[in-house]
This record gives sequence, structure tokens and C-alpha cells, in this order.
Amino acid sequence: MSLKNCYNFEDFRKLAKKKLPSPIFHYIDGGSDDESTLRRNTDSFNECDLVPNILASVGKPDLSTTLFGRKIDMPIFLSPAAMQRLYHPDGDKASARAAEKFGTFYSMSSMGNNSIEEISNISSGPKLFQLYVHKDRSISDDLIDRSRRSGFDAMCLTVDTLVAGNREKDHRTGFTTPPKLTLQSLISFAMRPNWVFNYLTGKKFELSNVKKKTDKGTSIAKSVIEYINEQYDPAMGWKDAEYCAKKWNGPFALKGVMSVEDAKRAIDIGCTAIMISNHGGRQLDGSRSPFDQVKAISDAVGDKLEIILDGGVRRGTHVLKALAAGAKACSFGKMFLFSLAAGGQKGVEHLLQNMHDEINRNMVLMGCKNLKELNSSKLIYRSRS
Amino acid sequence: MIMRLKDCHNFSDFRKLAKLKLPSPIFHYIDGAADDEITYARNTSAFDDVDLVPNVLRGVENVDLSTTIFGKKLDLPFYLSPTALQRLFHYDGERAVGKAAKKFNTMFGVSALATVSVEEISSMIDTPKMFQFYFHKDRGLNDSCLERAKAAKFDVMALTVDTITGGNRERDLRTGFTSPPKLTLSSLFSFATKPMWGINYLTKGKFELPHLQDFVKEGTSTNSSIGNYFSTMLDQSMNWKDAEKLCSQWGGHFALKGVMSVEDAKRAVDIGCTGIMVSNHGGRQLDGSRSPFDQLAEIVDAVGDKLDVICEGGIHRGTHMLKALSLGAKACSGGRLYLYALAAGGQAGVERAIEKYKSELVRDMKLMGCTKISDLNRDNLRFRRT
Ligand SMILES: Cc1cc2nc3c(=O)[nH]c(=O)nc-3n(C[C@H](O)[C@H](O)[C@H](O)COP(=O)(O)O)c2cc1C
Ligand SMILES: Cc1cc2nc3c(=O)[nH]c(=O)nc-3n(C[C@H](O)[C@H](O)[C@H](O)COP(=O)(O)O)c2cc1C
Repeated sequence: MSLKNCYNFEDFRKLAKKKLPSPIFHYIDGGSDDESTLRRNTDSFNECDLVPNILASVGKPDLSTTLFGRKIDMPIFLSPAAMQRLYHPDGDKASARAAEKFGTFYSMSSMGNNSIEEISNISSGPKLFQLYVHKDRSISDDLIDRSRRSGFDAMCLTVDTLVAGNREKDHRTGFTTPPKLTLQSLISFAMRPNWVFNYLTGKKFELSNVKKKTDKGTSIAKSVIEYINEQYDPAMGWKDAEYCAKKWNGPFALKGVMSVEDAKRAIDIGCTAIMISNHGGRQLDGSRSPFDQVKAISDAVGDKLEIILDGGVRRGTHVLKALAAGAKACSFGKMFLFSLAAGGQKGVEHLLQNMHDEINRNMVLMGCKNLKELNSSKLIYRSRS
Repeated sequence: MIMRLKDCHNFSDFRKLAKLKLPSPIFHYIDGAADDEITYARNTSAFDDVDLVPNVLRGVENVDLSTTIFGKKLDLPFYLSPTALQRLFHYDGERAVGKAAKKFNTMFGVSALATVSVEEISSMIDTPKMFQFYFHKDRGLNDSCLERAKAAKFDVMALTVDTITGGNRERDLRTGFTSPPKLTLSSLFSFATKPMWGINYLTKGKFELPHLQDFVKEGTSTNSSIGNYFSTMLDQSMNWKDAEKLCSQWGGHFALKGVMSVEDAKRAVDIGCTGIMVSNHGGRQLDGSRSPFDQLAEIVDAVGDKLDVICEGGIHRGTHMLKALSLGAKACSGGRLYLYALAAGGQAGVERAIEKYKSELVRDMKLMGCTKISDLNRDNLRFRRT
């Protein structure tokens, strides 16, 4: 099994599984509780069907769109994800470079292992910074200021992680960051000597963006669950979000909006976009999937906000369905993290190339010349008809 | 374990025997579909969302299964869709399928990528024949296909419109399926374990694509994947004007194969088509697209009185056909429903498969209380979720 045999999500996932110590693989792969939302995020795409138009002389379809005020070459981008150096020694650098190459957004997590400044030095491509509101507000303020100074294009505030989800796989594998060697995880790490070698010989593992402000960012072994519960402010409210949007004063999204009501409120506080997301099924199990909810939200606020569908996307046709239902673009986490683990920057590029080719091919088969032509007339829901 | 033709009683039995007989890249070329094969699965499972409601005490000793499409009377309400490369599946290829179709007096669809020429087929069978046309960039090739099919007295021309680019068939990517078969290290093992197939392939005549070979190297001995052929040889700028021109150039019964939207079905009427195949190419092209049976009623309502609507794909059973016919399809058609049987046993295999579907149809018509196809209507059906 090698990168060039990776044709789809499952292939990248398998290769990642082979390369990563098991606690780390399961940290990416797992969802909360029984993972029913995690599964539904992808399954929901299969209850409606695309209806192509024939003889449309499509030629080469235009896959570009604008998002957060920037033109991007295709309607997909990389979701923010924490601690990418655990998956590959190049970490965020690999993801950022690959995204730039394909002319789309890379997103940086507040819990990144590379600093805002470091990434802005290596990439002039579109960049989104993902913010968590910490109990210590000066941490959030500092992140906003630095993102602006470093030329990030947009900011999103994650609102579905006030407390940590119940990720039972992490309990079982004893996943902590930095990785702590317990007897039970030792075997798994020992069986992936390459990973261990890269991890130990590479740059010191740290949460670069918050390290000056909190010692939790450095070397104390903490589970992510403990970190989230200790650092993030569960009392965060609309006022805090509005404060961040104003302070940022540029393209701004709430990440994790699920209800129509909240989507409307996002407009009022000055958001230019929302990311419909349940954090990839990692937080509230049993919550609705982004695709099940996207049409209702788009019908309500689609003309006032850019709508991003985040979660469950595994295929070019999923993207086409999301756009036909009213999304402007889609983002994904696990899929690119597996490709990162599978092959670093090359892996992510391979994935983005696959997705590009799938979207392109399926646009041709749909008879659509550009993304605007993907409207609700192209989609039929089976159970609602 | 199914080892012989006479153990085959249904679709899945033929499929198992085909799997046993074919080198794996070839089996998976038939058996596979695009991406996650969701549409492929839905094509068949769509039939399960609706139930048949029989009528009793109707006097059903004689059942007439005949239907008329494209001005031709067929003895069966289903026919054999055009499929490529049949001599890879069995050394007799189109010869076997054509003769079986003739025996049951149903339509035989011949692919532009057939491995036996239209001339030979027409000298062999006088029953209804359809030529399936791909719109190539090379207009000389297009004209030649059209003229030869016309000269060979084919009854219907079907223009395939759902292969404007190659589908993402990941099984073919993994097995390295090309045509003609290329021996790579990974496929070698599979070919080596099916020696009969190899012997027949090598000894029963040269493998060629007679409709293409004068024009393109893909027609002859260069190994090419099918997806690659679609993407490089076919004209992606094909539009309604081109279809209309072909239709009048042909001057006989003309169908578009792969229509899915109501809008396009109406346009097909406007350009002079006498039929359409509601089809997604057996799930082999756009995964996530709607299944023919799910979409059938809308299309029949819009254009059913103006042209012949054919429900193509996903059909494994006589009852599937009854459901489609009840919704208003004029006929059904399928590829895999005879392809596995071809691989399993050549002409005898295809005949056995057709015989099985035919006897299912007769039995099910009787159980439904119907004696002719026109007795079937929507009162026979109940959709579970509305
Ligand atoms: C390993 C991992 C780490 C993540 N870290 C963050 C994070 O730091 N901040 C955040 O807002 N979302 C984070 N997410 C959620 C993603 O941004 C995204 O919402 C989710 O992965 C989308 O679902 P998908 O994986 O099905 O594409 C993370 C997801 C994964 C899988
Ligand atoms: C192996 C194979 C080859 C095919 N070759 C062609 C072809 O050359 N031209 C064409 O228009 N359709 C082709 N098709 C599609 C069939 O005509 C038909 O649409 C499809 O098989 C219907 O789905 P079913 O197999 O579920 O019955 C092919 C299908 C298969 C399975």
C-alpha cells in the first residue's frame, strides 16, 4: 500500500492507520459516544440524488468561487485541526503548502504546533485562523492581533467545543498530548518506529500559538479533554463572539452553527460566514448532520452569509450535493489529516488532486459549466418527495 | 457452491459463476461501478421501496409478454442493453448474445465498442437490433459508424449521453483493467489461475474493435483503459444541436441513452427522438445520481405519450420489470442481467438467463392477475414512503 494507490478516503485512512501509533490514529478517527453522528455526517449524503443534464457541452468546467473575500480555485478547503505535528513531522507546514498549491484555504487551529508567524512566512495562499475563546481573554486577543499582523485572510470562532466531547476511544488508548508512554500505548508506539524517530528528532512538540501564555501549551502531558475543559471558557456567549468579530474586523465565521435561529443571529453580530458543523461528530453525539441541515439554513440566510458545510465530506459528489443544497464551499478534517499522516505535503496534495479530479469529472457528468449552475433543481430528496 | 450453468437460477447465481470463470480484472470491470457504488446499489434497491398489489380471480392461463418499442414488436418486455467488449467475457462475445436475443425475439443492443462487426451481426440475426453510438471527436469515425449501421439494417440508433467523461471506477484502477488485457505482475496471477479463459482468449480469433479500428489506435492493439477512452476520444463539446443532426442523419428510430431529468426528456422529444433510456449507465458514471426507477414516474408523466420510455439498469428480477412497466415504462433493459450469464456459459448461458427472467415474468404476471403488459398500471403499486 502506497500513496499512489490511494484513490479515496478509505485508502488514505488505511495507510494512515499503518503509519500512526494507535492512540494517535484513533484520536483522528474517533467520534464521541457511539459515533452515530460521525457516521450520519457521511450517510446523510446518500438519501438524495443528483439529476444530471445531458448534451450541455460543458467543456472544462470552472470550479472557482470566492470565499472570505478571496478567489479560490475549487470549493473545498482544509478544516482547522489541532496538533498536526502528531500526524506528520512537517505538521501544519505540509498542509499549508499543499493548500496554497491548489489555490485554496488552509486553516490554522488555535492548538497548532506551528506558530502563526511561521506559517505566514511560508505561505501566501488563503489562510483562515481558528479561534477558541480561552478563560484568559488576553490569549484570544493576542491570537487575533497576531493573525492580523501575519496577513491571515479570515477568522473563525469555534462555538461547539465549550466542553470536550466524550471520545471514548481516547479514554481507551490513553491519548494525551504530548504523547505519554503508558504501558498499553507503548506497544503501539514501538511498532511504529519511524513515527517515533521523527517525533523525537524533529522540533520540540508544543502548542506554539499559546505557549507563552499558558504552560499547558508545553510539555505537561495532558489529555485533550482535560485541556479543553481547563482552558476554554464554557460561559462564552454571543457578546464574546461579537467582541471577537469586531476586534477582528474582517471576514469572520462562527464554526459549529447548527440551528437556523443561531444562523440568523450570526448575521446580527457581524459574521460574514458560518460553518455548519458538529465538529466532525466529535462533540455532541446524536446531533444533526451538516448536510441534513444545510438546506434549511441556506433557505433562511443563504443570501446574507457565506455558508460552509463542514463534516462528513468524502467525495466530489458530496461537494456537488452540498453546493446544490445551498453551501458556498465545503471543508473537511479527517480526510486531509489521514492524507497528511499517509504522506505529508505530498499526501495532502495527492488528496486535493483526487478531490479536484472528482469534482471536475462530476461537474462534466452533471452538465454544469460552473458552480452557480449547481442549484436545488439538480437535487432530489428521496424520502421527502 | 455454484459450478455449472444448471445451478444458476437467478442474477446472483450467474454472477457467482462468472466470478469463478473470469480473470479478476475482467470480472470487476463488469461488476464494478463509480466511486462508492452508492448509485449502483440504489438502482436495484429502489425497487424495494414500492410493493405490488395483485388482483385475484382474473383467469390468467395465457400470458402475453409482448410489447412494441421503436415500431418493433418484441416477444418480451425487456431487451439486452448495449455493452462493450463482449469477447473479453466469453470468446463468442456478441455472436452468443445476438443469437440468444434472436431465439427469444427481443432487441439486441450492439455497442460502438463491440468486438464483432455490425455486418457480421446483421448477417447472423434478422430480429430487432439497436446500434449504440458514441460521439467521437473524429467526425469521419462518427459518419462511418452511422453509415455502416444503416447499411447493416439496424432498427434503432441510441446515442449515449452519460459518458461525456470517464466515470471513476476504482476497481479498474486497482486491478489495472485495460482493453485488450495487459499482463501486469498484479493481474498475471489472476489470469494464470483462470487458464481456460486465457486459452480461449488467445486461440479463438484476434481481439478487435471493428467499428473503431480503421480510425483510432484504441481500436486495435494499444492497451487503453475505458475511462481513458471516454475522456480522450469522445467529444466533450457534444450538445443538443449535434444530437439533433445525428438524429436526422440517421433518419430512423433514434434514442438518447442516459436521460435523467424531465427537462432533458422534453428536449429529446423536440429534437425528434422516438425513445429515451432512463439510465445512469448502471451506476458506472456519476455516483450519487438518481436511480432510473426513482425517476421513472416523473419522466413518463412528462413525455410518456410522445416517445418510448425505457427503464434501464438495476434489474435483477421479473418483479422489478413489472414495477417499472406498471409505472409506465414501455420496456426494461439491462446489461449485467445477461453479461454474467454470457461469462458463465456463452450463448447457452444468455439463453438460460433470458429463460429465467421470462418464466419469472409469466409467473409474476399470473400472480398479479394480469395477462398482457398493458394490464399493468399504477393501481398495481403502493409506495411505502410518500
Ligand atoms: C484530529 C482533529 C482535530 C481537530 N481539531 C480542531 C481544532 O483544533 N479546532 C476546530 O475548530 N476544529 C477541530 N477539528 C474539527 C474540524 O475542524 C472539522 O470540523 C471536522 O474534522 C469536520 O469533519 P470531518 O472530519 O468529517 O471532515 C478537529 C478534527 C479532527 C479530526
Ligand atoms: C461491462 C459493461 C459494459 C458496458 N458498455 C457500454 C457501452 O459500450 N455503451 C453503452 O452505452 N453502455 C454500456 N454499458 C451500460 C449498459 O448499456 C447499461 O446502461 C447498464 O449495464 C445498465 O445497468 P445494469 O447493468 O444494472 O443493467 C455497459 C455496462 C456494462 C456493465
